[in-house]
Amino acid sequence: MATLNLNAINKSFGSAKVLHDISLAIEDKEFVVFVGPSGCGKSTLLRIIAGLEESTSGSIVIGGDDVSDAAPVDRGISMVFQSYALYPHLSVYENIAFPLRVQKMEKEEMDARVKRAAGILQLTEKLDLKPGQLSGGQRQRVAIGRSIVRNPKIFLFDEPLSNLDAALRGDMRVELSQLHSQLDATMVYVTHDQVEAMTMADRIVVLNGGQVEQFGTPMELYHHPASKFVAGFIGQPNMNFVPANVLDTSGALTVELDGGHKMTLPVDTTGVSKGDMVEVGIRPEHVKLAEDGLDITVNVLERLGGVSITYGTIGNGTRFCASLSGDAPIQQGKNMRLSVAPEDCHVFQSNGQVLRRKSAPALVA
Amino acid sequence: MMDRYTKLQLVGIYAALAVFLTFILLPFFEMFMASLRPLEHLFRSPYQFWSDDFSLQAYKDMWVTVPLLGRYIFNSIFIATSVTVITMVFVVPAAYAYARLEFPFKNMSLAIFLGVNMFTGAVLLIPLYRVLRTMGLLNTYWAMIVPGVAFLIPTGIWLLRSYLEKIPRELEEAAFVDGASRMYTLRRVVLPLAVPGLIVVSVAVFIGAYAQQFLFAITFNQTRELQPLPAGLFEFIGYQSVTWNEMMAAALVGVLPVMLIFLFLQKYLVAGLTAGAVKE
Ligand SMILES: Nc1ncnc2c1ncn2[C@@H]1O[C@H](COP(=O)(O)OP(=O)(O)OP(=O)(O)O)[C@@H](O)[C@H]1O
Ligand SMILES: [Mg+2]
Repeated sequence: MATLNLNAINKSFGSAKVLHDISLAIEDKEFVVFVGPSGCGKSTLLRIIAGLEESTSGSIVIGGDDVSDAAPVDRGISMVFQSYALYPHLSVYENIAFPLRVQKMEKEEMDARVKRAAGILQLTEKLDLKPGQLSGGQRQRVAIGRSIVRNPKIFLFDEPLSNLDAALRGDMRVELSQLHSQLDATMVYVTHDQVEAMTMADRIVVLNGGQVEQFGTPMELYHHPASKFVAGFIGQPNMNFVPANVLDTSGALTVELDGGHKMTLPVDTTGVSKGDMVEVGIRPEHVKLAEDGLDITVNVLERLGGVSITYGTIGNGTRFCASLSGDAPIQQGKNMRLSVAPEDCHVFQSNGQVLRRKSAPALVA
Repeated sequence: MMDRYTKLQLVGIYAALAVFLTFILLPFFEMFMASLRPLEHLFRSPYQFWSDDFSLQAYKDMWVTVPLLGRYIFNSIFIATSVTVITMVFVVPAAYAYARLEFPFKNMSLAIFLGVNMFTGAVLLIPLYRVLRTMGLLNTYWAMIVPGVAFLIPTGIWLLRSYLEKIPRELEEAAFVDGASRMYTLRRVVLPLAVPGLIVVSVAVFIGAYAQQFLFAITFNQTRELQPLPAGLFEFIGYQSVTWNEMMAAALVGVLPVMLIFLFLQKYLVAGLTAGAVKE
């Protein structure tokens, strides 16, 4: 059993507080992705889990054992670094065997394990080469190979794909997901790429400024973002935020959007009152061309074939992006009318907190 | 990006190089020419660049004039090698500690090392003499090795530390995560990667040791058999005459090992001195 529990982890570097009270319960065999903007503390949190960095306070429990003071190797974790951290003077074989050599494992056993890892990662042909003779993707696989030979309980990955080009990143994403099901291990994966997060994760931790904004499945995050930050982070293209004035809070929430369009939205109105300013979150993919609705000036039109992405403004210059059908009858520089279903809208208070949606798509279990 | 030079710039660059090399190499050339001349020829006027009685005779005679010459050359190399080995034994762990570990007074002690570096041995000769006498080391090889080591350790630490700092920290962290101890990581990861740096530092220390042994030898050692070559060369200065040609020949032969080392390790030296200067 390799559950991972973080209890109220705090971390300061000198006077700079980098992590605030982070508590997470990660299940056995779960693939959890930490995602967030640069500098939000993802790597720091991962390094604390690995034992490379000491937390200022809080505890780490792996498989029921408190490992807060244990050395990395005694925690049963292994880590893949962003820069691969391969030993350039050692062959691929020796790189993968390194953790086993440290343990002084017997030759046959070591050989078998290295060969098995190389087999899984399609490196069998490359065992005699030096890391410098490999492509980026192969190097990445060697780094992964080194992390799997030890049969750790938990794998930690720090942006393992960020040095690869887009196409290779797509391939490696699939390979990593396969590896996860093959190895049946708990994995914690750091990235700032929300596509990686959405495609690979069982659950995603969204970090912002050293705090957990939300911890949930990709679909939970997409349909029920807890805050404006999460809503803006998850989904491509990003969600639009249109300022709105609250007109009525009885039952549903009636607002007047920037630009004058009025809507009644099925959300919980606790905490807002008439006259408050809120922001209505509308995903670009949730709008349709219509006779009546939001009045948008199209500034840029990108026709991608299947879809057309428009970048424009609404009301007093609020940016608005829409994703329409490939042959949508619109023109750059012209105006268009868009409608959006009230139940597809998100509403955020001025402090960024969401108003709970009453009628949202059922969650995918 | 590769710089491209115009013809004129190239001419300028080569001209500057030629002037520079002439200054550096002229003494060696003159030493060589002097070593070929018969002694009486040396004081002949006017100066003759070449004459028929030039020969390699001095290279034969020098072993007779100074019978211990071979021993002196051996001593020179032996002392410089010992100094290098002992210095490196101290420098490697110290430089690693300065490059990677946090400890109290780290920067201050490093600054002190640099400060010590600024004193030449000459300033400290008399106190050193007393120390060595108290320890009973005068007139032994140790009298020339110990001060040599002491003065070269700071240089070594400074050079090697900056080299070690260029080895990515993540390599060591990866080893640490895999359960390797510091010593294991040092042995299996850091030192193999630092080989070019180790060679650069060793060569620098060896040359330093070779150059400074003269001072220590004439002050701390009276035993003829232990003298290194620079001190031994004095024996060519006789009561009546100085056999300049033989002295030059002996000096050249003595410098030869250092030159050979340079030739063989040149590619490491160049790589080491510029390592990390460019992003790869
Ligand atoms: N050793 C350190 N000393 C001081 N501050 C540090 C140290 N390491 C990280 N920080 C600070 O902690 C914060 C979080 O850093 P961290 O590396 O965890 O960010 P990240 O989320 O991994 O970002 P990125 O996506 O760019 O890798 C940053 O503001 C950084 O400046
Ligand atoms: Mg990071």
